[in-house]
Amino acid sequence: MPKRAWTSVLARWGIVLLVSLITLTPVVWVLSLSFKPPQEWLAYPPTLIPRQPTLENYLVLFWPGNPVGVVSEMVRTAEPVTRAFINSLIIVPISTALSIVIGFLAAYGISRFGAGGNFLPFSVLTTRMFPPIAFAVPLLVYYRSLGLIDTHLGLILMYTTFTLAFSLWMIKGFIDGIPRHIEEAAILDGASRWRVMFTITLPLIRGGLAAAALFVFIMNWTEFLFALIFTSRFAVTLPVQVSRYAGAVGRYYGPQAALGIIASIPVLIAGYLIQRYLVRAFTFGLVK
Amino acid sequence: MAHKEQVLIRLEGITKEFNGTIAVQDLNLEIREGEFLCFLGPSGCGKTTTLRMIAGLERPTRGEIYLRDQRITDWPPQRRNIGFMFQNYALFQHMSVYDNLAFGLRVRRVPPTEIERRVRAVAQALELEPVLNLRASRLDLSTMQRVALARILVIEPQVLLLDEPLNNFRPGLRELMRAELKRWQYQFGRTMVYVTHDQEEALTLGDRVVVMNAGRVEQVGTPDEVYWRPATLFVAGFIGRPPMNLIPVEYRISEGHAFLISPDFEMRVDERRALIEASSFLPRLILGIRPEQLLIPDLHASSHEGLVRIPAKVDLVRPLGRKLILDLKTRSGLLIQMVTPSTRRFAVGDDLEIAFHPHQALLFDPHTGQGLY
Repeated sequence: MPKRAWTSVLARWGIVLLVSLITLTPVVWVLSLSFKPPQEWLAYPPTLIPRQPTLENYLVLFWPGNPVGVVSEMVRTAEPVTRAFINSLIIVPISTALSIVIGFLAAYGISRFGAGGNFLPFSVLTTRMFPPIAFAVPLLVYYRSLGLIDTHLGLILMYTTFTLAFSLWMIKGFIDGIPRHIEEAAILDGASRWRVMFTITLPLIRGGLAAAALFVFIMNWTEFLFALIFTSRFAVTLPVQVSRYAGAVGRYYGPQAALGIIASIPVLIAGYLIQRYLVRAFTFGLVK
Repeated sequence: MAHKEQVLIRLEGITKEFNGTIAVQDLNLEIREGEFLCFLGPSGCGKTTTLRMIAGLERPTRGEIYLRDQRITDWPPQRRNIGFMFQNYALFQHMSVYDNLAFGLRVRRVPPTEIERRVRAVAQALELEPVLNLRASRLDLSTMQRVALARILVIEPQVLLLDEPLNNFRPGLRELMRAELKRWQYQFGRTMVYVTHDQEEALTLGDRVVVMNAGRVEQVGTPDEVYWRPATLFVAGFIGRPPMNLIPVEYRISEGHAFLISPDFEMRVDERRALIEASSFLPRLILGIRPEQLLIPDLHASSHEGLVRIPAKVDLVRPLGRKLILDLKTRSGLLIQMVTPSTRRFAVGDDLEIAFHPHQALLFDPHTGQGLY
């Protein structure tokens, strides 16, 4: 008996280890890479701990060409990352918030009143049914004539639209899970529909909203294709900026890795803040 | 309850259809001030729909609803000032008990000091003071029920509507909570309309019982009336456990006397001739007799005059402590159930003569289902 327990513990840890190895290796690799000097970027055999750790990859993001060094020489022409960072911090939270707010209102109407009939919730999904690139050309034409290219507003509108399908469907699922009787009880208590929505339904699905918001936030934060096509200078976002660290001879892996690490920090913070709601979102089914 | 006879709510010709299926059909009913009215019927008979229409959560397809002679058919639920207790109580899980109770008052813009006073008063009456600060999601069932009731009472509604509030309780607790409900009704003296599919509940709680089936009202009456004088075959068969014995008989006139003939017995019905002859499906009739109205003549020495006797064989004996249920087979193969004190022993296969007083037998028209009274 003790022996069997021992082997099963070993097997369990083995699996956990294997899965962590697979999922965490790239992260660890990027982290390590961000501290490596150019000669170690592609060194063989690879090193996990940089032999000559350096902060140059990070510094060069903010002051390209300023501190004298090998990497700085390479990326002299790049813009400081600050603009892309600020752009992302403007575009992503706003479009996420819009997507969640519109998604909640739409989901409520669909869930409680069957707004738009049977076809509407499905038709919203069509925005995700084609490869995004298929939308790029027609949108480019529209955007050009509307003057939305390379603007914050342009990306905000686009991100809101393309994540709406997700927020709507996720939130609709959570609203469907709230018994109608609870809302009816509030209505009989004299509350208006709006009041019911915001004081009864909304707090009850708070966890679900948080989960949807985190999901949409990550999607927007990492979106590359549209940002690349629809921005050039002023509204460049972080993923596009990452792609800028490349030259005629190849990619500058060090600064790319450093930017990847910095870019993940807001997501980590958002995830951490939202975590306690997430747990509640997934245990919510217990409410009868 | 001085004004008990005053009509509080009147339903006139209420019909409710959902996508072409009829849930409630042509319902007429008066709910009196201060009474405890029970809707009883099998699930899907339209009782909950009726309750929801009174509350304003559903709009009748046809017909009108009046509250004290005021037409309220088109009023939204908020305006009706009606308390509704849902089957699962529908508490606001994310709020404290106090906030649950205060919600309706806050919505109505009652001044805060007044809210505090009224919430405390109701909480005290229902012994909810110790849990006022707990989250509603952390309560046990019977406390939830009290919170649900308190939440309704605190807005001082015209009438309380209760939709199977005891369904979630296990049997023992259920009876306890039933007694509690009845006590509350005396205590608060409010008009209560109560929906249940449990006949025992309806008969013990209700001042009057509305028996519904397939969207129609079968009978409205006191518990005694629906039990002893069921208006229709459905009510006769639905209420009472074991159910009423319903025996097909044939009406015949012979030598100037009126008889009901069955393969197992004959019964003279001269005094009910007029009633019987008005029925639609003659000569066929259904005779109803409650299991506890059947007796075994040799156990009851006196007053055997005029009894209708049926020879039978014991088919099954089900003891129930003080009494027992006998399943009997007559010679013609008819199954009859009787309830009798368990002072005597019975064995399967015993021959037995059972009997009943002819005036206790009820008669029904098998075609319309109507009782002939």
